[in-house]
Amino acid sequence: MKKDMTKLGMTLMLFASLACASLAVVYAFTKESIDKQSEIQLQASLKELFPQATAFEPIQDLVSPDPNIKFEAAYEVKSDMAPLGLAMKATGPSYGGAATLLVGIDLHRSIAGVRVMALNDTPGLGMNASSPTYYVDKTKKVTFLGQFNEKFLTDPFEVKKDVVAITAATISSRSLTKIIKLAGDAAIAYMDQKAISAPAENGASADAGTDANAQPQAGGK
Amino acid sequence: MSMKKLYSIFKQGIIFDNPLLMLMIGLCSAIAVTTNVSNGIGMGLAMTFVLLFSEIIISLFRKLIPSMIRIPIFIIVIAAFTTMVDLVMKAYFPDLSKSMGVFIPLIVVNCIIMGRVEAFASKQNLASVIADALGMGLGYTWVLIAIAAVRELLGNGTLAGIQIMPASYQPILFFILPPGGFFVFSLFISLNIWFKKRMEASARNRELVAKKEAA
Amino acid sequence: MELGKIFLLALLTNNIVIMRFLALCSYIGMTSDVGQSIGMGFAVTFVTVLATAATWPIYHYILVPLNLTFLQILIFILVIASLVQLVEFYLKKNVPGLYSAMGIYLPLITTNCAILAVTFENISFKYNFIQSIAYSVGVSLGYLLAMVLLAGIRERMKTSPVPKFLQGTPILFMATALIGIAFMGFSGLIK
Repeated sequence: MKKDMTKLGMTLMLFASLACASLAVVYAFTKESIDKQSEIQLQASLKELFPQATAFEPIQDLVSPDPNIKFEAAYEVKSDMAPLGLAMKATGPSYGGAATLLVGIDLHRSIAGVRVMALNDTPGLGMNASSPTYYVDKTKKVTFLGQFNEKFLTDPFEVKKDVVAITAATISSRSLTKIIKLAGDAAIAYMDQKAISAPAENGASADAGTDANAQPQAGGK
Repeated sequence: MSMKKLYSIFKQGIIFDNPLLMLMIGLCSAIAVTTNVSNGIGMGLAMTFVLLFSEIIISLFRKLIPSMIRIPIFIIVIAAFTTMVDLVMKAYFPDLSKSMGVFIPLIVVNCIIMGRVEAFASKQNLASVIADALGMGLGYTWVLIAIAAVRELLGNGTLAGIQIMPASYQPILFFILPPGGFFVFSLFISLNIWFKKRMEASARNRELVAKKEAA
Repeated sequence: MELGKIFLLALLTNNIVIMRFLALCSYIGMTSDVGQSIGMGFAVTFVTVLATAATWPIYHYILVPLNLTFLQILIFILVIASLVQLVEFYLKKNVPGLYSAMGIYLPLITTNCAILAVTFENISFKYNFIQSIAYSVGVSLGYLLAMVLLAGIRERMKTSPVPKFLQGTPILFMATALIGIAFMGFSGLIK
């Protein structure tokens, strides 16, 4: 009896080890590609938001005021040393778990664009936020995230009044809007603090983050 | 093993013993991924891959698997292949992988795979199980594509993301929503039952005619 | 997210059976009797919460530090299978009545999509341990709710004139679609 049990146990261990070994092989093959995927997506989206950018410098000290929404990464966007704005990668709760958005803020304190990094909402409803063919304004072909383009962070952000919600997906719409607003406000606070602003009217580009009171504050709000 | 016998095994899974419509197993992932055709195709292929290779391995090792621990061993094999599909999809088809989410790992508890492995693969030779897996996989996939086509076309105006309906078509959101899924699925089952009854009726008729002629 | 919100979303708005199509095999198979569905619902709740309590720490304290996350599917399903075995042994010894009533459906809990889905989502939704427990309780009670609802409807339907083309399983899915439309009313429940 005991010998049988040992034999059964050994067979089980053998199969389990074979399985784990083959999985380790497949994992080794695919790991690089998998890790690259999120980097590729991030870089591609950053480029989409700021086509003229040449560098994205990571910033460390941005903290979210809301414990539920985390700023996973923040970048100062520059084109040959001249600032273009900020990009924030923020994660917050949405209808189907955590949603990660990339929010770009330009020097005018308006939204350069929003891209979805990760979204787990209901297909056909909340997931439409990431769909390029779902329009909140069918005549002007504006997507849900597209409506945030060039919107000032000081504008009202109430869903269903100032922000068009996705049909039958109000919770997703609210959650995503909240993430965008929070990320946008934090980015502006940072830019104000470091005095990063649009270049002066006469064409001279503003210095990034040195003299807080010397630079003319042209453009912006 | 004659080609004719292999072909009849293959044919079973497509209509007569269609896993989704006739045997009613593996339903879990089925309705959820049918919101669009791309997901349906992806799921069908992923499931067929896991089914095929699980059946192959278990058929090859069938004499070496002790009956007492066969279920854990089946689980280990199926889980291994499911993980492989998951890893490969994450690496080379990231958009599809994200779109299907948790349903790829859920292939491991797909009753179809466990059912076929237990009932068929553990007892049959290699050629038969390959025919069986391909037949069942195809049966599963075509139903997924059919349901997804209806739901996506009526609920979104597109097929696999390509606009089919004219721009003026107002999509009937109901079909994309969960209740719509149940609704469409219910009609498919009903159609299949009716079809099966007709096939059986005509088979009986042919028998009666044959008996009459023999008499 | 607050625990109450997670729980309510899982129980009603995102009901695992009615709105997410999971656990359908047992949903169709075990709802011919209200008593049976309650028993099954509680058995699944028990296994799901235990599975969460086991798999969450395994993932965060063993798989991640050792870089073995690719073994997640394998380990999780084996944990669930073992838990179901334990439940089976326990019932066989201590509650033989329930054990024989559940019959073949007890081992089938292992292949219940809902349980594996919950253990996976605890990880992918980045819930902490307490949130995971709240989520698993919400989902499994939602499963219980769906089961009892359909069982009740089936008992009523025994004396209803069902149109011929919907007899058998189709009418059950139709009923579920209708329940689903009602459940969509819960989408405004959480602000």
